[in-house]
Amino acid sequence: MTLNVRPILSALLRNRTGAVLVAIQVAIALAVLVNAAYIIVQRFEKIHRPTGIDESNIFVVESAGFTARFHQGASVREDLAYLRGLPGVIAATASNAIPLSGGGNNDSLVTRPEATRTGYINDMEIDEQGLDTLGLKLIAGRNFRHEEIQPPLTKSDISRFVPEIIVSRALGQHLFPNESPLGKQVFDAQNHTATIVGVVDPVIGNFPDSPHADWVFFLPRMPDEFIVVRYLVRTTPGERDAVMRTAETHLAQSNPDRVINYVRPLSYFKNLSYLGDSSMEIYLLTVTGLVIAITCLGIFALATFNVSTRTRQIGTRRAVGARRGDIVSYFLIENALITSAGILLGCTLALAAGYWLSVHYALPRLDLYYLTGGVLTLWGIGQLAAWQPARRAAAVPPSVATRTV
Amino acid sequence: MLKMHDVSKIYRTELIETYALRRFSLEVAAGEFVAITGPSGSGKTTFLNVAGLLEEFDSGSYQLEGHDVRGLSDDARSRLRNERIGFIFQSFNLIPDLDVYDNVEVPLRYRRLSGADRRERIGSALELVGLASRARHMPAQLSGGQQQRVAIARAIAGDPAFLLADEPTGNLDSLMSRQVMDLLEQINEMGTTILLVTHDPELARRAQRNVHLVDGQISDFRAYEPRAATPGAAGVIA
Amino acid sequence: MFGYYLRLALKSFGRNPGISVLMVLAIAFGIAVCVMTLTVYHAMSGNPIWWKNERLYAVTMDNWDPNHALNPRNNLPPPEMTYKDTHFLYGSNIPLRKVVMYSTEGVISGAGSGPPTQVATRVTSADFFAMFEVPFLYGNGWSRTADQPAQPVVVLSRKENDKLFGGANSVGRTLRWNDHDFRIIGVLGDWFPRPRYYDLNGGNFQEPDAAYIPYGWGAELELQNKEENDCWRPEKLDNFRDYLASDCVWQQLWVELPDAASRERFRSFMDGYWAEQRRAGRFPRPQNNRLSNVAQWLRDNEVVDNDNRVLVGLAFAFLALCLINTVGLLLAKFLNGAAVSGIRRALGASRRQIFAQVLIEVGVLAAAGALLGLALAALGLAAVHHMYAAAHLGQRGGYQELMHFDAVGVIWAVALALAATLAAGFYPAWRIGRLAPAVYLKSQ
Repeated sequence: MTLNVRPILSALLRNRTGAVLVAIQVAIALAVLVNAAYIIVQRFEKIHRPTGIDESNIFVVESAGFTARFHQGASVREDLAYLRGLPGVIAATASNAIPLSGGGNNDSLVTRPEATRTGYINDMEIDEQGLDTLGLKLIAGRNFRHEEIQPPLTKSDISRFVPEIIVSRALGQHLFPNESPLGKQVFDAQNHTATIVGVVDPVIGNFPDSPHADWVFFLPRMPDEFIVVRYLVRTTPGERDAVMRTAETHLAQSNPDRVINYVRPLSYFKNLSYLGDSSMEIYLLTVTGLVIAITCLGIFALATFNVSTRTRQIGTRRAVGARRGDIVSYFLIENALITSAGILLGCTLALAAGYWLSVHYALPRLDLYYLTGGVLTLWGIGQLAAWQPARRAAAVPPSVATRTV
Repeated sequence: MLKMHDVSKIYRTELIETYALRRFSLEVAAGEFVAITGPSGSGKTTFLNVAGLLEEFDSGSYQLEGHDVRGLSDDARSRLRNERIGFIFQSFNLIPDLDVYDNVEVPLRYRRLSGADRRERIGSALELVGLASRARHMPAQLSGGQQQRVAIARAIAGDPAFLLADEPTGNLDSLMSRQVMDLLEQINEMGTTILLVTHDPELARRAQRNVHLVDGQISDFRAYEPRAATPGAAGVIA
Repeated sequence: MFGYYLRLALKSFGRNPGISVLMVLAIAFGIAVCVMTLTVYHAMSGNPIWWKNERLYAVTMDNWDPNHALNPRNNLPPPEMTYKDTHFLYGSNIPLRKVVMYSTEGVISGAGSGPPTQVATRVTSADFFAMFEVPFLYGNGWSRTADQPAQPVVVLSRKENDKLFGGANSVGRTLRWNDHDFRIIGVLGDWFPRPRYYDLNGGNFQEPDAAYIPYGWGAELELQNKEENDCWRPEKLDNFRDYLASDCVWQQLWVELPDAASRERFRSFMDGYWAEQRRAGRFPRPQNNRLSNVAQWLRDNEVVDNDNRVLVGLAFAFLALCLINTVGLLLAKFLNGAAVSGIRRALGASRRQIFAQVLIEVGVLAAAGALLGLALAALGLAAVHHMYAAAHLGQRGGYQELMHFDAVGVIWAVALALAATLAAGFYPAWRIGRLAPAVYLKSQ
């Protein structure tokens, strides 16, 4: 078989338009494919990163007191006692916020009182069952003790802090690089101090969209009396929905001075938080699939057209001794030349689009692995799409050359 | 009718210039039947394309029915083709997805004739070539001779001043060839000027005048005696 | 001639049904993806009160940490203000209308037959309804005198009134809000500005609050903002009074300034206040007082998210791909049929007539593609709507509301579809028209 590119190239250059159109399609397809794949993988990693939380077995109850008689501390104690006594419940805690929900509190935390404060750190109120409820693993230190749990903040001590906190490993590393954070002192926004007594890992806090979603610290305190309380309840696998129903019926009637706003699985809040990411993922996957299909179609159509307009020529080649394989490789090489030209242009386009996205939309710069993958993919589908027309060309009988009409 | 003087047509590529017609002059009077003969590559088809206003020429002058056609717009040339010229090709060139009737209708459509007018002309043209009963057949359902007769009907339906025929019998067997030639003679007798391009001296002999082309130039004129009427021709067609 | 060309086009589709279907599909998918993204983009980028864009201004001032801007990326001041700053600026008589407000939550009980429920409640001054042109179904809002001292009156949203009173005129009735008596003085008509420009906290496309109470109740009942509450200064915060005196930001101030003169006067009023406060030791950062009109406010708060912009870019790249693909297919198809065009030219068709014939054929494809594309887009939007609605557990309000065509959107979509495809068909039509007919006549 002779791989003679020059005559193929010169044939191409004489009949340009179709080839140019296909090359442009390949270029656009490459640029879209590479950047879309990059974004898809990022979102996928974000959605599927470990949260440390037993997401599928936790549900959330939101309770809001509204009368003057209502007493937050007493209500929380009573509700927790009830929830913890339910069969199928592993642990329950009261908190100010819902993990992974996109809502919650931030505080600033520094290691010296005079230090410059940079940014916010997510904090969450829990009690001694909090870590168990979430399913978080302590990698150093200890859990909160029952007697350490502080009473709720009231309207007359809004800025009270706590003596002990538990931090995520990532936050510990941020505050005390290359040191164990255990036993160290930190200062809150009002320069109250607390000691780090435990470290958990992994954990994603209340704000999955934050660039530092894994900077979290836990406060041993009952939730403020002027906000709603969220009870987090963890059940044995498979029991969640049944326990939810039982708890909702009871809690809705147990105390006339408060309302139960909802009882919902934690997965509801997680899904809602990631809705933008997951719909972006689905959308990009769909469009990428269509891009590949349309490009295949374009390549296939051009190859078919080229074969059908050159039947005579193919017959002549066969008549002068070309084997079927020679004809197949002629069309595959022609296709490879066109695809390669498109890929060359496409690389430029892809990098330009990647750069533009990184500058304007704060996406990380395009990884070159993706470009390599995209190039190979397009090359592959180019050859695949041209395969059938090339086989058809090879089936042209040599006698075509001598036919007049 | 048709008057060409010193017409030249050059095909250029990057490397060479080829004269397809070289200072070609010819006059054809109304009602004539002229055969253009010559070997392959002598410029027969180029002459036909230039005469039929399908191609421009590079120098010289060309008057069609007293009008200079040089430099006419595409619209004007198209209109002249449509109204004054009929084409007949070696490979018939019927439009394969249109049936016989619709094929004959094509030039009438471009002339924007009314539906009734079109129907009448198509009817009489098909009548003349003896295919009125095949109006709703597709070209593929017809024999070569029938297809060429449809093409002739299409060429004359618009009542052109002259017909340009390019090897009209080239793809036909001898019986069908004779039928087609009889038909062309009949049309000529009805007053239509005919230019017949062929390399077949047998056919050329049936014309009143022969123009022999070599290398884009006329090498020989030969006028024949007015031919005798061929009895029975009409009968064959019918 | 049009009818003739149309008939020829249909015949031509019959000859190559496969390639025609592929072209229609390519156009349809390109259009569908474009229309879907543009529909969402259009909804996101809307300005629901554009006619007052040059009159309504969000007021913001940068009272933040000297060492650390709240928004280092774009140097915007915090989107909310402190109680003391809104309190002072609200005192100005320069604006035609002015609103100080925030959202909180309260439990409504003692009305209708349902159980007590907690609802989103806006604590706002009286001008809210007139300034943001909120329609009333029954009754009306309160006057400025009801703000301070706060009178126990409440306005309900139409939805809340439907829930509590089955849609009856409830004006004059009493309900309990967080266990205090309030008299209903108004029920809103249908009102759902998207985006919720006047308060973007807690979601750009949230539905409006269910209840509205006079601003004075905020201090009276010590109500906090349920969505946003940012502090930076280490300061004593032992009770609500401390909180009101603090540098924490949690309230919004909007003013209506009908002309350039009033804008200038209000700006210099603000600047004067800033300078005076700075002398007293506040506002450690450089002066960054802003009056942002609605469009600017929506831009600053990045209501159209980056994902959506990226998708619009992607959609146009995809449409371009589909159209180039279609051009390729059209060229292949018409060049395959060039002999027929050559015959037509010989029979007297002018270039223009061939061009028109091809363009009409393309137009029919374009129309079919556009129609199918719109249908696909409607299907796609319904699917996304369904997905979002499912994630919200059937709650209304929020992103799923963006997944609807509006009339203007459909017209744009159809125009885009036809223009794009005809543009794609133009080149092939021109190419076919230019073909030298003689070449195709000699042999086939």
